[in-house]
Amino acid sequence: MSKFIDLRVVWTLARRTFSHTVESPIAFICAVFFYGFIGLIFSPQFFANNNASIDGVGALAPWLLWFVVPALTMGLISDEIRSGTFEHLSTLPLRDWEIVLGKFKGFALFAFFLIGGLVFYPLLIASLAHPGVGLDWGASLGTLLGLLLICFFYGAMGLFASSLAKNQVVAFILGVIFCTFFFFIGQFSGLFPGFLSQVADFLGVGVHLNTLSRGVFDIRDFLYFGSMTFLFLYFSVIRLSSRRF
Amino acid sequence: MIRVNRLTKKFGLTVAVDGIDFEIPKGQVVGFLGPNGAGKTTTMRLLTGYLPPDEGEATLMGHDLRTDSLEIRRHLGYLPENNPLPDDIEITDFLHFVGRLRGLHDLEHRMTRVKSVLKACSLESVVGRKLGELSKGFRQRVGLAQAIIHDPDILILDEPTSGLDPNQVQEVRELIQSLKEEKTLLLSTHILHEVQHTCDRVIIINKGKIVADGSPSDLMGAQQDVTRLFVSMKGSQNEIESALRALPGVGRLNAQKSVDGVEDGFMIESESGRDLRESVFHLAVEKRWPILSLRQERLSLEEVFRALTQFDSAGAEAPPHV
Repeated sequence: MSKFIDLRVVWTLARRTFSHTVESPIAFICAVFFYGFIGLIFSPQFFANNNASIDGVGALAPWLLWFVVPALTMGLISDEIRSGTFEHLSTLPLRDWEIVLGKFKGFALFAFFLIGGLVFYPLLIASLAHPGVGLDWGASLGTLLGLLLICFFYGAMGLFASSLAKNQVVAFILGVIFCTFFFFIGQFSGLFPGFLSQVADFLGVGVHLNTLSRGVFDIRDFLYFGSMTFLFLYFSVIRLSSRRF
Repeated sequence: MIRVNRLTKKFGLTVAVDGIDFEIPKGQVVGFLGPNGAGKTTTMRLLTGYLPPDEGEATLMGHDLRTDSLEIRRHLGYLPENNPLPDDIEITDFLHFVGRLRGLHDLEHRMTRVKSVLKACSLESVVGRKLGELSKGFRQRVGLAQAIIHDPDILILDEPTSGLDPNQVQEVRELIQSLKEEKTLLLSTHILHEVQHTCDRVIIINKGKIVADGSPSDLMGAQQDVTRLFVSMKGSQNEIESALRALPGVGRLNAQKSVDGVEDGFMIESESGRDLRESVFHLAVEKRWPILSLRQERLSLEEVFRALTQFDSAGAEAPPHV
């Protein structure tokens, strides 16, 4: 056994979480809702604007992920606690970090496929665009990468929310509340005075997604998503290690 | 192998485990008894590292529970109460999943272990089925199979026979018997008869405290200051009852009615273990009541359990350990 985090057990847990998520009806409903809404709203906009870009997807998807991600993560830990299987899991020779990372990685894998499915839009637009005009692939991939990073960040918050409640619905509501904070704080940054306005802007996900959507890969955005995701995973570990459910 | 010293766990104002001490050497099978809410499950959860203790210490295989819980969990197999299992996974996949998390990363070795526990727990007939489709008996066996997949040194089983039919109980008992050769076993159960047959030692816990600790026969012997005598005599039952009550050394006396009505009589509890058989005999001779039946009975473990776990509620001091 590894002295530190054993990536083999993390991967074992991740695979189990992924297959459990894929087989659950909630994942199916979330995927249908996500792709359905994007298709329904984006397509008329796209043809009306006559613009070869996926900006519409980048603008719409965060609103959907705001609900979809907490719905996907609500059961990750709360369901184990409610059904009692968490007792079994936590008496296996696993570190709390391994449990949290395994669960998160399983979700992240699903999120990767969910966002990966949106590649359909740049491919479609590229095939429809006038020759010579083309699609800005950097901006498109930046948008998709930004959405994936938002998924990871929301997923970490959702995982933490799931560790706080035995009831999945409560975990979902908590997850939405956390996401709401980071979704809207940037939108309302103008309401804060001076320096606080800048802090609010930085804390919100919007500004970071906008940068990536322009095809600009700024280290600060990666640091933002990385550190926020890590922070909520760390909160989840602290919560699990308390063993007070 | 397991050493527990003043282990305490509180939930708010409730003291679930109240400074218990015990030691279990290697290869011993210990039955953990107690009424509901006595602290059995909490003690087991403390030993498995699921719950952190508030006070006291415990060492398993020489590893401290507070500082080396991970190492302890590597040597431990645990069947939790109610045996919670995921429903959406096939048996073999589940055993492989637990095996991998238990550190059995070598596929060949893991496959051998899975095959071996499927056989040991008689699960071969249900391979291919998801856990949610299994009967309670099979689920219990899957719980046992996952607990022994890594061939642990210590097995902690919380009510392993709960909810099983008599045939399944017998199978689980045989499985436990086969494991006791090489492992240290701590199991809790409500079936006292099972403890008598399976365990080398019994620890009775009540209200978070150990009220008795010894072999099943020791425990029954320790309660021999209360002996019981069943007497059945021919004659007026009212007169017989009053005469028996008047005998010196008679404690409680209850009229007993047999199912077939052939052996109606009285169950007499003597004070301080006094043998009342001679007095009863002389009484019968004097009154010319023919004795139909006269037998002294040993207390069953169930009665010992009741006597010990009711001590506290009566406000009396708990009996000393034996």
